[in-house]
Amino acid sequence: MNKVKIALLALVAVLLVVQIIDRSREPAQMRELKQSIDRLNATIAHAPVTLRAAADPVLGSGQPVDDHETPVPPPTLTAPRDGQPKLGMNFLIPVDRSTFHPAWQGGTLRVFNASPKGLNPLTDNSAIKGQVYALCHDSLCDRQAATPEAWSESLAESVIISDDYLTYTFVLRKGVMWQRPILAKQPAYAWLDRDVELTADDFKFAMDMTMDPNVDCPSLRNYYEDFASAEVVDRSTFRMRWKRRVYTSLSASLGLSPIPRHIYGRNADGSEIPGATLGVVFNKHWFDEQNGVVGVGAYRLEEYRNDERMVFQRNPAYWGVPLHFERIEWNLQVKQDDPQLIAFKNGQVHSHGLTPLKYKSEILDHAEKRFIAIDPADAKAGRKGELGWERVKGMSFSYIGWNMRKPPFDDRRVRQAMSHAFPKQRLIDDVFFGLGLPVLSDVLLDSQYCNHDLKPYAFDLERAKALLAEAGWSDGDGDGLLDRMIGGERKPFTFEVKYFANSPEWDNTLAIYRKELQKLGIDMKPVPFEFKELMRIYEDKDFQAVVGGWQMDWDIDYFQLWHSSQVELQGSSNHCGFANKRVDELADKLRLTFTVPERVAIAKEIQAIIHEEQPYTFFRSNVGIFVWQNRPALGQPAPAERYLAGVIKGLDSFHPLVNRTRTFWHFRK
Amino acid sequence: MFAYIVRRLLLMIPTMLGILIINFLVLRMQSPSLVEQAQAGGSGKGGEGVSSERKAGGASKQYANHIDRFRRLGNDLPAVVNLRGFLDKDDVVAWLRRTSPAAGRTDSQRSTAEQDLWLAGHYAVGPLSDVLADPALADLYGPASQAFALCAHTSLVPADQRDPIRVNVVRTRNQVLAQNVIGYRSDRLQGFVTDDSRAEAKRQALLAVYADPANRVDYAASGGQRWRSILFETGFSTFLTRLFTGTLVSESRPNQYVFSIIADHWKLTFCLNILSIALAWGFSIPLGIRSARRLNTLEDRATTNLLFLLWSLPSFFIGTVLLHHFCTDSVKDGVLQPAWFPNAGLSSAGSLWYSTPRYLLDLAWHGALPLLVLSYASFTSLSRYMRGNLLDQFEADYVRTARAKGASEDGIVYRHALRNSLLTMITLGAGLLAELFSGVLIVELIFSIPGLGWLLLDAAKQQDAPLLMGSTVISVGLLLIGILVADILYAVVDPRLRSRYA
Repeated sequence: MNKVKIALLALVAVLLVVQIIDRSREPAQMRELKQSIDRLNATIAHAPVTLRAAADPVLGSGQPVDDHETPVPPPTLTAPRDGQPKLGMNFLIPVDRSTFHPAWQGGTLRVFNASPKGLNPLTDNSAIKGQVYALCHDSLCDRQAATPEAWSESLAESVIISDDYLTYTFVLRKGVMWQRPILAKQPAYAWLDRDVELTADDFKFAMDMTMDPNVDCPSLRNYYEDFASAEVVDRSTFRMRWKRRVYTSLSASLGLSPIPRHIYGRNADGSEIPGATLGVVFNKHWFDEQNGVVGVGAYRLEEYRNDERMVFQRNPAYWGVPLHFERIEWNLQVKQDDPQLIAFKNGQVHSHGLTPLKYKSEILDHAEKRFIAIDPADAKAGRKGELGWERVKGMSFSYIGWNMRKPPFDDRRVRQAMSHAFPKQRLIDDVFFGLGLPVLSDVLLDSQYCNHDLKPYAFDLERAKALLAEAGWSDGDGDGLLDRMIGGERKPFTFEVKYFANSPEWDNTLAIYRKELQKLGIDMKPVPFEFKELMRIYEDKDFQAVVGGWQMDWDIDYFQLWHSSQVELQGSSNHCGFANKRVDELADKLRLTFTVPERVAIAKEIQAIIHEEQPYTFFRSNVGIFVWQNRPALGQPAPAERYLAGVIKGLDSFHPLVNRTRTFWHFRK
Repeated sequence: MFAYIVRRLLLMIPTMLGILIINFLVLRMQSPSLVEQAQAGGSGKGGEGVSSERKAGGASKQYANHIDRFRRLGNDLPAVVNLRGFLDKDDVVAWLRRTSPAAGRTDSQRSTAEQDLWLAGHYAVGPLSDVLADPALADLYGPASQAFALCAHTSLVPADQRDPIRVNVVRTRNQVLAQNVIGYRSDRLQGFVTDDSRAEAKRQALLAVYADPANRVDYAASGGQRWRSILFETGFSTFLTRLFTGTLVSESRPNQYVFSIIADHWKLTFCLNILSIALAWGFSIPLGIRSARRLNTLEDRATTNLLFLLWSLPSFFIGTVLLHHFCTDSVKDGVLQPAWFPNAGLSSAGSLWYSTPRYLLDLAWHGALPLLVLSYASFTSLSRYMRGNLLDQFEADYVRTARAKGASEDGIVYRHALRNSLLTMITLGAGLLAELFSGVLIVELIFSIPGLGWLLLDAAKQQDAPLLMGSTVISVGLLLIGILVADILYAVVDPRLRSRYA
């Protein structure tokens, strides 16, 4: 009897559970249905536009439509529209539609990404937010990745710079519409559900918000220190005025993105916000609280489920050259390295990046047979496998910094000796498995500003010994350690290098370096610190030697890192105490120079001086491994939306890897 | 009994408060300072991951924005006790001198002192204006004016847009304050050196702001307000107020309430936890009973050894091994071998449209491996506890009596011995309620399940104090309730203890 009762109870419990699960899935199903209906409606509404675009002939290169991989030769640019800034005439490169082929359009691209912390265009600063706006939004002018000095048309059809780089006048493209946000579908926000044209007023609003002291974007405002005023001349003409002629005004003006006044200038019920409190409300705007993103770009943010995924849908009304994908999905759910790699191998994402350790196990040791094994004769052998892999250059570099304010590193010869004793290439080969390029300065190796004439500090212990002897270091008391008389006392050459904890690469690097220094008679102690502690160490300049890294940028500015005025400033980036009058002069001059050959000359001279002084022993710029779903096994058909074509074309046409490489990607049919 | 329960419930309140205060203090010590935020070059907290690369952005001199942010989050107030209402001129002078460069004082100590002064708010405005009015303290005019401008800076909130007159007044006043900060340099030998040709005019302008009776409303405080501020204008009291009015907002996800974030992530964790508890207890208790009944047989010894072997295998290792072997597609002789189990999450992509039985099967398929990894470690401990308890009971005299009476072995075990060994199991079960709430980080990371463990780890990394405090409140509350329930159950189960509670 008992057993029967228990069985009945169990059955009832199971039925209850099934009912609860059923009920709980209903709202989610309703939501999905509604979204697909909206999507269908949107497609139908814009169908005439899509068909028209398909009927347009493909402009430009005259290459065969089914050519997936031949790299694209750089377009020939004719003056004056060659992208180089000039006074008094429009120099923007015209829009190039030759990369887009309607036949390749379609499919959903899946990649991994991290959750953005916030999506406000000004007050949130994460890299992910930048990627979201790169997909969904545009700026006045665009830059070619291979030639960052060359600006091309984007939202601005023309720009005239006048008054010796103090005034920028833009003529905007007409008929560009703001996207309708997903929120507009909710009845409470029905007032958002209309088409609004982009006008000069939106750019003025962006500048007003950036300069408003109540808006929480102090670091962005630094770039507009010399900004004077923004003016709406008429509906599609916008003018920016600067107080001083300074080079940063070029990228700050041409790279400006508009902010929709019809959304950020209003309350949630549609009423306008009084001018005085615009900035205050902007900080905590209801649109950001609903995770809204609206732009004028190629994709619309269609779905954002926190920690699950972000989905971008192609904007059929886009004015410019779209990517070939219909949808782009970011998987936010899988966060760890191992599960991500497994998901990539299972075909759940189309491209990924490998850390050096995974590169070693998967490719060097060939654990994954679908990668082509490494071939010393052919650097690009990885392109032929079912899973393609290739080395891609990154935009950051690492270094060991020496505190130039006190002994032993106040003497240039000692610093140069340290660089001679640093086995750079061996470290790159052994610790990072060859993933890394040795750098001699803080400028991107592919940039025209990079001084390639600098003579590297070769790994030469004899030379290092000679330099140290010149600087007065010798083994006076015969204990195997170098020493010197400092302030009347015999001090041994021993110092601490402070570095990032939780980094096995730095552990190994410093261990190898330590061994080399021991041969010279120098005792180096590597001491790991947590990130926060290390930031405090930078601030207090409380180190003899410290490890660090910087992001390299397209724009060169030597002020922050190397200007002597920053040496004693609290919280400055010049923590090594580098102060050189000539570099100060040149850095100030660089800020005011606009012609590229002159800029290059100045930058190269600065790099030469820094190279001579060695405040940092520059280490490596990082190189990552990019992997992607390349092609099916020989003889197998390609399932839909599984394998990417055009990846190699992108890698050959643009480097380092930036969003522009995706211009050629499409699914193999 | 009732009095006992009431007494226990009342005792929970100070326990809870004590735990929360300690947690709050520890979190406060971790949160980034004003200057750190200004250097981080943005409103993002901490760094992006553990990358060693930092964007070369200059240190921001625009502290007013950062102070606004601190005030919005309630981080400008001291943690537990607020004595700012009793600041006077001498305190402020001593404080200013602490921010000057001197031998033995590091830059970070100076900036911490500076930051604390700037966040002191309207209580410090009066004493600072006294400093500015005192000709004997002319060397301190520079830092005092900077502190005055920032303490007197009034932060606006979106709700203020309803009162446009006040907004204009405040904006003008803030602008006047920002424009009249006297420029100065800190020199290691000379201390503060004023570096400004318009210093006198600026000083008068700042004093005029304070002298204006219309502004006094914002800056002066009555005696009663000062006394109340000691305990009621603190970070902890702000936190408690927001907790009880349900307006506790997370710092890393500023558009969501803490409890709704936790609720979203808790559902998955709850399912996993309850199933793993059911599995662990459902498997271990019978196993323990069986082992006790067949003491020292081959089966018992083999089971013990096997369980200890399982126990010694760490769960992250087992999880990763299972993930690699059973969840990865592999290629053998050019043919793709699909994996046996899925590699992420608890549901498939199209699972929303499956029929409910298929959805449940899909859930079981996804959840099998995570569940296994979660529960296998508890098999050993629970079954050994059960076995040990039963063995103790078998030594007791009532069991001997029952055997002598001729009761069946089954009856002895299930009707007599088991009930007496419940006491220990109830003790173990006290933590169950709290365990339901805790996220299991390892399984969630390996199998990519967006549950509570990952949420709390992320909150800890981003120093999101409200989220961590909110989850502490819930887990501590559940733990205390669990302990109380366990104590009540003791009384229910064991008549000997009932009299103790009366």
